[in-house]
Amino acid sequence: MDESEDVPKDFIKFKSAKLSVDEVSELVVSPYCGAVSLFIGTTRNNFEGKKVIHLEYEAYTSMAETEIKKICRDIRQKWPSVKHIAVHHRLGVVPITEASVIIAVSSPHRAESLEAVMYCINTLKASVPIWKKEIYEDEYSWKENKECFWANSEK
Amino acid sequence: RARRRRRRRLSAEGGSARAGGSMRCQQVSVLYFARSAELAGLRSETLSVPRQITSLQLWEEIVKAHPRLAVIRDQVVFAVRQEYVLLGDQLLVLQPGDEVAIIPPISGG
Repeated sequence: MDESEDVPKDFIKFKSAKLSVDEVSELVVSPYCGAVSLFIGTTRNNFEGKKVIHLEYEAYTSMAETEIKKICRDIRQKWPSVKHIAVHHRLGVVPITEASVIIAVSSPHRAESLEAVMYCINTLKASVPIWKKEIYEDEYSWKENKECFWANSEK
Repeated sequence: RARRRRRRRLSAEGGSARAGGSMRCQQVSVLYFARSAELAGLRSETLSVPRQITSLQLWEEIVKAHPRLAVIRDQVVFAVRQEYVLLGDQLLVLQPGDEVAIIPPISGG
């Protein structure tokens, strides 16, 4: 494949089925890239001493996709050598230890994809309209990311 | 009009009969998410709103329709045509069919 045919692509998906690390990393693999960096966000079983039964996610999907596209555009401005970017986010019920988000980025050398992955998850948490509900044994709680610039919470 | 309709007309006096001007009303879609959907008891509705309204005025009209939303006033922002808007003096110019979403603090990832 000529490098001009390996056009940089963004792969953004929301799905209720279990996410696949293999699937997401294969999306970004490129013969011109020596690095694929990954972030996997998984569900923890506890919060402030309470047992978490599972998480539930919902999203304003049309705007969430637009916001993630903006993040991809920003990544390509900051790290021009980044080749492909994939962001898969699960919606609905996510059981403990399963992945709620997988981000993969490829680049010729490792520094750019490692930095881009960190930027991607940090910015997603600050700007993408997705919400998580933690279900405990007797109650539930809508979570608020500390990165959210309009949240009033003191957590 | 004494009869209450599913499509609520908000407090602006202007109707479609009045040509031009900021009092003319538009039908917009209001979307509710997460805690705001629980408090409002619904996910979406069509509201009739003045073409020009500040974001704070729009919030106050929505709270009149769904008073339980008042408790989250300090935590929410709007997304108008998928751009975030803080509750305040910002003047919104709304078009028919525009989407306005209530956005509680986000927790993706």
